[in-house]
Amino acid sequence: MRRTVGRRGTGDLLIALVVTAIMAALPFGYSNELLLFNFVTFLALSQGLNVLYGFTGYLPFGYVGFFGAGAYGFALTVMHLNWPPLAAMAAAGVAALILAAILTPLLRLSGAYFAIASLAAAQSVYEIVANPALEDVTKGPYGVSLSGVFAPMFSYQVGVAVLLFSLVVVVWLRNSRFGLALQAIREDTVSAAMAGVSVVRGRTIAWLLSALIAGLVGGVYAWHISVFYPDTAFNIQFSIFATVFVLFGGATTLIGPILGVVILYGVYNTIGITVPQYFQLIYGVLIVALVLFLPNGLVSLATRRGIRVP
Amino acid sequence: MLRRALLGLVALVPLALARPVLAAEAPSEIKIGHLHAGSGPYASISMPVYLGLKLWVDQTNASGGAFVKAFNKKIPLKLISYDDQSSTATAATLYNQLITQDKVDLLVADSGSVLTSVAVPIAREHKQFLFDPTGTGATFFQNNPYIALLADPVSTIWPKYIADFLKDDGVKAGIKKVALLYSTNDFTGTQATALRGFLKTPDSGLEIVYDQGVPTNTSSYTVLINNIAAADPDAVIALGYTGNDIAFLRNLQDSGNKFRFLFAIYPGIETDELVKNVGPQGLDGVFTYVTSAAIAYKPEVGPTEAEFRKMFEKANAGSGVAYGFNAIAGYTTALVLQETLAHADSLSQADLRKAVFGLSGKLKTLDGTFELDEHGAQIGEITPLGQVHPEGKGVKITVVYPHDLATGKPVFGKP
Repeated sequence: MRRTVGRRGTGDLLIALVVTAIMAALPFGYSNELLLFNFVTFLALSQGLNVLYGFTGYLPFGYVGFFGAGAYGFALTVMHLNWPPLAAMAAAGVAALILAAILTPLLRLSGAYFAIASLAAAQSVYEIVANPALEDVTKGPYGVSLSGVFAPMFSYQVGVAVLLFSLVVVVWLRNSRFGLALQAIREDTVSAAMAGVSVVRGRTIAWLLSALIAGLVGGVYAWHISVFYPDTAFNIQFSIFATVFVLFGGATTLIGPILGVVILYGVYNTIGITVPQYFQLIYGVLIVALVLFLPNGLVSLATRRGIRVP
Repeated sequence: MLRRALLGLVALVPLALARPVLAAEAPSEIKIGHLHAGSGPYASISMPVYLGLKLWVDQTNASGGAFVKAFNKKIPLKLISYDDQSSTATAATLYNQLITQDKVDLLVADSGSVLTSVAVPIAREHKQFLFDPTGTGATFFQNNPYIALLADPVSTIWPKYIADFLKDDGVKAGIKKVALLYSTNDFTGTQATALRGFLKTPDSGLEIVYDQGVPTNTSSYTVLINNIAAADPDAVIALGYTGNDIAFLRNLQDSGNKFRFLFAIYPGIETDELVKNVGPQGLDGVFTYVTSAAIAYKPEVGPTEAEFRKMFEKANAGSGVAYGFNAIAGYTTALVLQETLAHADSLSQADLRKAVFGLSGKLKTLDGTFELDEHGAQIGEITPLGQVHPEGKGVKITVVYPHDLATGKPVFGKP
């Protein structure tokens, strides 16, 4: 049994490495690295959301709050402390972790209450950052310019490293006792607790891990685009997209969110560039079709037939 | 036989070596990359710029293309313009698309500072010269050789005439207390900062009694107007985008509050849009910036403002896009492109930049005199202070300051 899990873990890890290698190599064959970077951003962000939603069942509409906290954690340490970008990346992760620690009591809520409360929390952080009275600290609504550390290719590769980290976390959760414990909590909290699983500890660790990934993605995003506004870093679109990608592909799996990003974000960029006026219609139809016919995501086409999906 | 062949080959060598020295072949088209916001908060300032630019491209292609000095011939133009939907994130990706995938010869930013801001580092990174129609953020021009502002002055210059007028004519008319309400974005926030600096000099005789920034998406000003009235100012200066001005002036009309001096940016810039949404009476007596839409400059290149207005309205009838300063800005940008192509020695970005800066002080269009400072910031196309007066179903705008450009006297409200 343990050997099977180990073999599966190796297979999952191989997939993570292949995806990472492909994303690392793509800029050498396709020069719009910002478009590729957006793919990296959403691949990592959707895996971060997968950690929380897929393994604990908590769906945070305000997930973008951690992303924004990471972006501003990075920006503030670069602007005010002149930290080098890699050190500022650590600050991005820490900023998201601090925010997550402060918001941990939200885990006492569940379902729609948790989703809405997390959205309100993200909005609160946005309002604080965008407050004109804090212009000297955060630049308020006037946005941040980090042209001094602008390094598109280097930051892209750091983004790929963050992607690898997020994929490895999901591989670990899918193949560890801790991941199984989280899934047990998700399915039946009382039974899991009765079986000796520490519910609070498990949920809190998943919450912090998920926030850390979003914070790191936010930090590298800030570094890569170098000019952004609070409404860019706290744009609800990040939450919506990450959620849709996870649901579309299939939560709790490694492949599901990857499929969601590749297909839906691919469609978004194709339609969004050529016929943006039809984008919302086409996207809406796709999502309605998914909810009606594949509520557990694309991977359920295989899992229904008893095929294990990584 | 072999010897003759070798001699023949040797004779061909100079020809082969000389071949690269010959001028590069002319491209079949000149690609102009641009972004526009077809929806969202910046659509009202972006679409007129896009349609102004598109009008010029269509006209130029109808006459066989633009004259390109580098190839000494006319070459057709291809305008590649994507819709960024007012999103900076989408705009950043699309600017990259234009540079790296479409490989445009000329890159024109979207309208306004917010959507231009993301283009600045991308263009600089790719060493692509950025033709900036109306992105006026002062930081764009710091240590950046890859940009020039083409159709309006930098934000810090805009409010100078308001301050000078208040310190000069205003104080004489008894104006002492000033209220400042502004939207917190690059364009109006920078103007508010500059205005504060101009007004807070010891000898100004003016005191700022109300100073409030509000989010750009503010659509209800009723409470803010009451707060302003409570501060009892003589002059109220409201700095916002088109939507902000419409909401503010409507709410002010409904509130019944009157001030001796009331300033708003867009009555003089997007006049038709403001008249349509606020009505001539709601604009009565409002001081505003005067752009080329209200000053009949005598252009040396391109049509007059009146001629352009006819062309624009004919070409875009039924589009729902109102004629105003941004349409002129789009066409002015196009005329700068036209003259750049006509003067640049090659299509390299360095030669394009040299050609643009070479036009400074010499190019006179329907938007006034095109003049750049050494950083690429526009300093020629000034924005005097004007005042709106109802006239029939529309309005008339008179220039009131500076005095040498004035076409009428200012009328202050009753104390």
